Amino acid sequence: MMEQVKTSGNGYQSRLAAGTMRLFWWASAWVAATAVMRFGPKYFWNGTMLLTAFGVALDVAIGIGLILAHKSYLANLDELQRKVYLEAFGITAGVAVVAGVPLSLLDSLGLISFHVEIWHLIIVMSLTYVASIVYGTWRFR
Amino acid sequence: MKNRLKVLRAERDWTQARLAEELDVSRQTINAIETGKFEPSLTLAFRAARLFKMRIEEIFQDQAGGDPEGQGDLQAT
Repeated sequence: MMEQVKTSGNGYQSRLAAGTMRLFWWASAWVAATAVMRFGPKYFWNGTMLLTAFGVALDVAIGIGLILAHKSYLANLDELQRKVYLEAFGITAGVAVVAGVPLSLLDSLGLISFHVEIWHLIIVMSLTYVASIVYGTWRFR
Repeated sequence: MKNRLKVLRAERDWTQARLAEELDVSRQTINAIETGKFEPSLTLAFRAARLFKMRIEEIFQDQAGGDPEGQGDLQAT
């Protein structure tokens, strides 16, 4: 009952690889733009307001591109991988709230020795997101 | 939900990667469906039925019971 169906390369894997590369370049561009926005005023253009405003606008524009690339990436995933990513998003959002609120409270009450920054939350969210995806992928392997 | 994907694949001497390619999903998804870790959507079930030229209930069986014959004809076209 051998049956010849389409044999057109692996379309899904190709799309996934292309989407991953697109996401990687957008993420890299955003990190670079954020670094320019953060350090440019001090090290490159000596606080010139116009250039600082341009740096912020560029960072936001590339950030929007990154969001759209991520949206496109998720739309191209198959249903199992979309489930893994959805669960990872859910866990990440939960951890952000559960960890963020008490840490902020402890900071405002002066009960911890360091000052809580938005970067701390972003790092926690990033690590949680990656760990959740790794766990989800392992669970359905 | 039980399914016969592994058997149908073996009858054609297809690898999981080949079936994944035919159904436009990842190999991991095929493996997860075959081992019962993941239940496919109706869309994917229809795609599998079209590929194997069978009815959906001939590939996927609900373990909760019930008479598949009484559920109407789900032949994929």
